[in-house]
Amino acid sequence: MINSVRNTVLAIANKNNYGYISPQDFNLYAQQAQMDLFEDYFYQYNAWTNKENQRLSGTGYADIVKGLVEVIDNFSVTRSLAQQGANLFNLPSDYYLVNKINYYPTQITSGTTTAAALNTLTDANATFVTSGIKVGQQVANTTATSSYSGFSGFVISVDSETQLTLSYSPFGVAATIGNTYGIFNTTGIVEVERVNQNKIFYLNNSPLTAPSTGFPAYVLGGASSSVIGDANTGKLGNTITVYPSTITNNGSVTAEYIRYPLSPKWTYQTLNSGEPLFDINQADYQDFELPLSDEPGIVSKICQYVGIEIREGDVYNFGNQEEVKNNQIQT
Amino acid sequence: MAYINDYAYYANSGAIPEDKNWGSYQYVSLNDVVNNFMLMYQGNHELINNLNRYQVLFHAKRGIQELNYDAMKEVKVLQLDLDDNLRFILPSDYVNWVRISQFLNGVLYPLTENIQTGWATTYLQDNNSKILYDQDGNVLKPQFSQVDTSFTSGAKTIYLNESSAYNTQSGWNVDGRWYFDFAVGARFGLNTETANANPTFSIDKQRGVINFSSIGGGASVVVEYISDGMEQGEDGSISVNKLFEEYLYAYVRYSLLNGRLGVQEYVVNRARKDKSSLLRNAKIRLSNIHPGRLLMNMRGQDKWLK
Repeated sequence: MINSVRNTVLAIANKNNYGYISPQDFNLYAQQAQMDLFEDYFYQYNAWTNKENQRLSGTGYADIVKGLVEVIDNFSVTRSLAQQGANLFNLPSDYYLVNKINYYPTQITSGTTTAAALNTLTDANATFVTSGIKVGQQVANTTATSSYSGFSGFVISVDSETQLTLSYSPFGVAATIGNTYGIFNTTGIVEVERVNQNKIFYLNNSPLTAPSTGFPAYVLGGASSSVIGDANTGKLGNTITVYPSTITNNGSVTAEYIRYPLSPKWTYQTLNSGEPLFDINQADYQDFELPLSDEPGIVSKICQYVGIEIREGDVYNFGNQEEVKNNQIQT
Repeated sequence: MAYINDYAYYANSGAIPEDKNWGSYQYVSLNDVVNNFMLMYQGNHELINNLNRYQVLFHAKRGIQELNYDAMKEVKVLQLDLDDNLRFILPSDYVNWVRISQFLNGVLYPLTENIQTGWATTYLQDNNSKILYDQDGNVLKPQFSQVDTSFTSGAKTIYLNESSAYNTQSGWNVDGRWYFDFAVGARFGLNTETANANPTFSIDKQRGVINFSSIGGGASVVVEYISDGMEQGEDGSISVNKLFEEYLYAYVRYSLLNGRLGVQEYVVNRARKDKSSLLRNAKIRLSNIHPGRLLMNMRGQDKWLK
């Protein structure tokens, strides 16, 4: 979709030889436009939910909310949270909002990987069969400093005492050799409830509602590193403090969250004439993650940015009017 | 509670204790109640939204407590031997008592509560009845008052009727019980409310003990009592009879709506009526009024009273 968007924008901007948009600028505008529309989904979801309650939205093809939820769900990710210390856990750096935090109370075993392979956990020192590892249990990478930290998969088969086949690859590359893992039972999972900072004191001191392993709670805290997103320290993003404070098992806390969309990148090869030629095979290529139906909206947004860049009011006005019209249709 | 197979029910799947799941099907756990409420009664399209789970948890527990106080018949029974001070320490989850008995020779003898106080706090006094204080200005208190020692030493109370026709009379002791010649004529002065040869007891709520009179140290006492169903704070052990499940949802719904801003009064009233009627239904269900049982009771209607 990204090439189509770029061609459309260039066609509009170049109609009267207004100007040229470089790939670098286009990528910047594309990121802005995508983020703008991405955030708009949540406001639309709220507005349409209210309309549903007023019987202004129907079912079947008239179910607007369903379409919005499907788009948002595309960005839903589940990750085991890296433990920073005691009951303090790091949230992933790419989270937009936390949907749910879950607690896996029963850890079966833990260890350190001795080899790496796709969809496989290998630990020469493990006794998976003897430890009672069964199909369906969850395996999580619990090394906070690993680039695969929090990645998890389910046990598909217990191959031997030292090897499991997994549904995903938390230990798929050589760099994960020596990473620690935890294997957790997937029954008895409980949701950890979000509690505001101003309530947690009262909650902890209430005999009836004090957080327990059956009804745990968490508060959101600031980033544990002075440099947010500092991958070198493994202290990424924000933190959560889980209560009761006895929940200290690394890998036992999992987040279901909505991540930010990846930054779109229109990649190219430079021809001798200096003209960039779209190349989808570049390693850093990244298409828009929003659905195809958002293409007109993205074009409108980018046109507004482009109109300002090339100081052409018509282009800006065109993009602005298209967006207004689009919003009117949707509401 | 999740559905379990027969092996898990009867034998706890081979684990210990074997009887863990016996009778469990009649109960629904607190976890299930909270989970079901969050799933079915709160949300964007429900009457209640933007709800914290701990609010549901709080009201669900309060509802279970209220049920335990009067509606449910979940009576707990504890048997302990009295200490030398003739005291029975109240159970850790005690809220109120139902019946207190002495277990003697394999028979339970229901005891009567001494409605007069059997305990008191006292201050140390000098010969002139002036109160004594320590160096900090606090009053000095002995461990036991005269009332305490008098009651626990088996001293006479108004319940021992000195005007009784049997007082100071000779009788026969058979198997630990006294028998006297039959007295002809009316007997005056007997407190019929407490005309009981068994010891009496008095509950000292502040100290958390039951005091007994006229009973030997080491006597075995059985206390039937009610708790609040909170199982010493073990959330995983809290459950409620399924007959009260729907009531509990209604109770939580009403409590939440009643405390919310901007909820129309008719909505709150509807929830309140819903809650009340469901409580009545549940009580009737739990009372186990069956035609067969009624028939057995009615058979006594023509019995001749001598």
